[in-house]
Amino acid sequence: MDQPVRELSYAQAIQEAMAIAMEQDERVFLMGEDIGVYGGAFQVTGDLVERFGADRVIDTPISELGGAGVAVGAAVTGLRPIFEFQFSDFATLAMEQIVNQAAKMRYMLGGAVSVPVVMRFPAGSGTGAAAQHSQSLEAWLGHVPGLKVIQPATPHDAKGMLLAAVADPDPVMIFEHKLLYKMKGPVPEGYYTVPIGKAEIRREGRDLTIVATSIMVHKALEAAKTLEAEGIDVEVVDLRTIRPMDTQTVIDSVKKTSRLLCVYEGVKTLGVGAEVSAAIAESDAFDFLDAPIVRLGGAETPIPYNPELEKATVPQVPDILKAARDLVSGRR
Amino acid sequence: MAQATAGKATGANLPFIYREYSPEQLKQALHKMYLIRRFEEGAEDSYTRGLIHGTMHLSIGQEASAMGICMPLTLDDQITSTHRGHGHCIAKGAEVAKMFAEFFGKTTGYCRGRGGSMHIADVTTGNLGANGIVGGGLPIAVGAALTAKRTKSERVVVSFFGDGANNEGAFHEALNMASIWKLPVIFVCENNGYGMSTSTARSTAVANIADRAAAYAMPGVIVDGNNLSEVAEASHEAVKRARAGEGPTLIESKTYRHRGHSKSDRNRYRTKEEIEDWMTNRDPITLYETQLQEFGVIDQAGIEGIREAVRQEIADAIEFAKASPSPEIANLERYVYTESL
Amino acid sequence: MPTEVILPKVDMDMATGKISRWYVEEGAPVKKGDVLFEIETDKAAMEIDAPASGILRDVTGKEGIDIPVGEPVAWIYAEGEAQDRPVAAVAAPATEEPKREDTKPVQAEPMVQAQPAATAAKGEGARATPLARRLAAEAGLSLDAIAGSGPKGRVTRSDVEAIISAPAGRTEAKAPDAPRRPNGQPSASSQALPTDGAVLNHAWLRQGSGRPIVLLHGFGADLNSWRPLLQAGPVDAPVLALDLPGHGGSGRTVPADLDAIAAQVEATLAALDVGPLLLVGHSFGGAVAAAVASRGIADVRALALIAPAGLGPEINGAFLDGFVRARSEASLVPWLKLLVADEQLLSKPFVNATLAQSADSELRGVQAAIADRFFADGTQTFDIRKQLAGLRIPVRVMFGAGDRIIPSSQAFGLPGEIALHVFAATGHMPQLEQREAVLRILLEMARA
Repeated sequence: MDQPVRELSYAQAIQEAMAIAMEQDERVFLMGEDIGVYGGAFQVTGDLVERFGADRVIDTPISELGGAGVAVGAAVTGLRPIFEFQFSDFATLAMEQIVNQAAKMRYMLGGAVSVPVVMRFPAGSGTGAAAQHSQSLEAWLGHVPGLKVIQPATPHDAKGMLLAAVADPDPVMIFEHKLLYKMKGPVPEGYYTVPIGKAEIRREGRDLTIVATSIMVHKALEAAKTLEAEGIDVEVVDLRTIRPMDTQTVIDSVKKTSRLLCVYEGVKTLGVGAEVSAAIAESDAFDFLDAPIVRLGGAETPIPYNPELEKATVPQVPDILKAARDLVSGRR
Repeated sequence: MAQATAGKATGANLPFIYREYSPEQLKQALHKMYLIRRFEEGAEDSYTRGLIHGTMHLSIGQEASAMGICMPLTLDDQITSTHRGHGHCIAKGAEVAKMFAEFFGKTTGYCRGRGGSMHIADVTTGNLGANGIVGGGLPIAVGAALTAKRTKSERVVVSFFGDGANNEGAFHEALNMASIWKLPVIFVCENNGYGMSTSTARSTAVANIADRAAAYAMPGVIVDGNNLSEVAEASHEAVKRARAGEGPTLIESKTYRHRGHSKSDRNRYRTKEEIEDWMTNRDPITLYETQLQEFGVIDQAGIEGIREAVRQEIADAIEFAKASPSPEIANLERYVYTESL
Repeated sequence: MPTEVILPKVDMDMATGKISRWYVEEGAPVKKGDVLFEIETDKAAMEIDAPASGILRDVTGKEGIDIPVGEPVAWIYAEGEAQDRPVAAVAAPATEEPKREDTKPVQAEPMVQAQPAATAAKGEGARATPLARRLAAEAGLSLDAIAGSGPKGRVTRSDVEAIISAPAGRTEAKAPDAPRRPNGQPSASSQALPTDGAVLNHAWLRQGSGRPIVLLHGFGADLNSWRPLLQAGPVDAPVLALDLPGHGGSGRTVPADLDAIAAQVEATLAALDVGPLLLVGHSFGGAVAAAVASRGIADVRALALIAPAGLGPEINGAFLDGFVRARSEASLVPWLKLLVADEQLLSKPFVNATLAQSADSELRGVQAAIADRFFADGTQTFDIRKQLAGLRIPVRVMFGAGDRIIPSSQAFGLPGEIALHVFAATGHMPQLEQREAVLRILLEMARA
């Protein structure tokens, strides 16, 4: 039962998951731009083409719309494609196939088909790639019934959730923060899955719940460590899936701590934090709130190029520290 | 690229379908063309009576195109269809009763009342679905063809689309990928002359949509879409090529829709004379009936028999649809995701 | 920070208001909830309570001048807090120097209140977190009795928990403006108060000298119901009004019998150090007052009963039932009409105030249980005649001849030394319907 555990990077963990999926299931194959001999823009597919051949690690033309549609068509007819977008920003080119086709096909056809496609989206800022290569668009897709949208934060979850996604009968969109690719963490060998739709409490605490996604989970944990020295006991909830969202874990946590801070990289307005906040406001956790709910999200701007400006557009640890202190001390 | 069209002939020069198919199969084809025509007339009538809501896009006048393309297809072959897709669905083998039930929004419909006219599908006979998005089905067909190739099946996939779709990016991306990967897919452009109100002359840089095949290194074939035999012959060629692993074909089937774009069309962009000409001189069913009689496949009584059988079939189908139950509101959210059992 | 006192909007289409009189002088201590001043609008005079406890200063809102709604008219400083606000008279000629009272620190308040309370509206309108709201409701606490420590005076969990766990029980923040102890030291009232929750919610509606008048309201009402009576004329005596158990801001309990209620009244009076007093009760409160007077524990020197319960078996059971069940204006007003002989007396503020309580289904639920216990099946299950017969203090009974709740005929057959006033064309609310006369009688009794 207990599999040996090693340290792998987030990118290696994803690559391992894809390799295991392809070994186990002949139907699984990869599609994407420059994922073959190039190894993918972020070297996530690496040398998988050598192991599985160009028939199963397919370089597509630069055709995001067509490529996504081919993946959808293959999924509907019995294959299990894993489609890599070079950058999550390019989802904008493929929205038609993702939103109108993949998400709705099962429903439009009254359940006659399933669409077991997995799409991977390297997302987020911090690489100096500026406005068209740094966005966090997960909330866009999180708004679409029929899709499942996940944001693994650790190498362990990246592997386990990707394997869960491949096994899932419905379209699963994976948003992978680019700055996480090199992050190392313990990853069990072999096959395992981490369930989609289940949040994880990364740290237990009494005074404040921080609900974070993706890279913000790590920033929240770092802040929690500092706050602990100040006597502020923070609970960090890693949301992991934004659709279907595990609101119950958040509700239970807020009932315990009475305070909620949402931290996410996507633009603050109409984002994941809005949904988490509303879920609490609508739930029985409302009567447990002892302070206003606070959101820390991305600035209302495109991601700028200048590194200082770029940093300022997304929540950083000092922002989390300040918000947490204000909340717990009653200044907010 | 256009192939020479087969002229009317006798003896050894009989048109393609008279050489390829048995009289019974030819009569079946007429039966299905009538079924498509009467189905759409029945749907139009039910719509007018308020039994069907939303809108619908009728393909009356394009029956030979749908039927001819599907003649060489097996049940295992697949199609993706368009918003003007009733004919494709019936030609591929769907039951009109379940189609009417879908139009009436009933649980016995092909999509359990979730799809309606614009998403009509019958996966069991290989129809992966009509599509509300112009060009939406093209990449999906390529994906289905990729599955066929990867699973080493004999299956071919036909993607129907209209002249409007040839100006969508998805058309170009799909044709390109199908060609570079030599996938068993047949792109069938049913060019009825107008993308909604805009004529191909105003919307499309090339004279023929089939001319665009050259850009993707595949055969481009132009056929008279109202001539069943011509359409079927082109389809046969393309299917043969696809099954042989030689890759895709683009067929342009020039045809005409007798009705407007949808139920809200005021028909201001076409002249009465133009419509009248297509309806009286180039109606695909009339042309086919005449030909069948000319070649002695069927007589007037036989034709009357088919018409009467279809009339009864349509009447029964509408009754079935009317009598079927509507979905429960409580089940609204079913089929969004694959339900775990 | 001192707490701002503004001229509040008390009527829908009100843009300005006049302060007709201040009840607290500049420089005097004031307790949150005390009547601070009275506003005159086109329609009615309205008493405005102090939004916080402390010392009243910088009174800029002159009497009789039109003042825009929302303008500050004074400030309440915490004890020892420096007075540093720029002072300007509101709507007053610039030549008129605002009156400056001496600013030397005043005797510390006999209260344990960490912070000035918020300038918050009463009850449900108070600024509080959802958690604080829930905890306060569970503990039977009124939110406006709690000083908020959060931003803008927001009441948080810790504020509520501090009160729940304080030795004084839940009444700490409502600590009374009790008379000074002989030695001049603040009476550490939070410690003096019993801890068993027996102390009733209360408010000093008037400050003054002389014998205090203590008011006990009727069934389904609360201490605020006495305010119109006190506006009928100048009142020089201190006036204390209590909320009976299961009413107003008091604990939501169903007392076992009249003695149990009397005991809570006595405990409250003791905790507040209220000496010789005139006890006044209306309707059900009249029966309680009679019980308190006859038990001899509180120093009751005179007793005034207005349409008292307990003199006979009959009571309008349909009224009690309908009143307790009414949740909307439409279902409430028909019952309220039974209270008075002249419907014109049912002012909008009166209806709204009653309606606000009706909206509190928990409150009305408790009151339904109280009605079941004391007025089972439309019958008064208790009798105060025996108690009245044994009293050796001045007692006066007032009735409206047209009372449709308790028939005035029940006043017949009382002992000869008990004075009886029967008002013609008056219903169950003489204190509202004949307020000048009733107030005059009470003040006479207090001075006697």
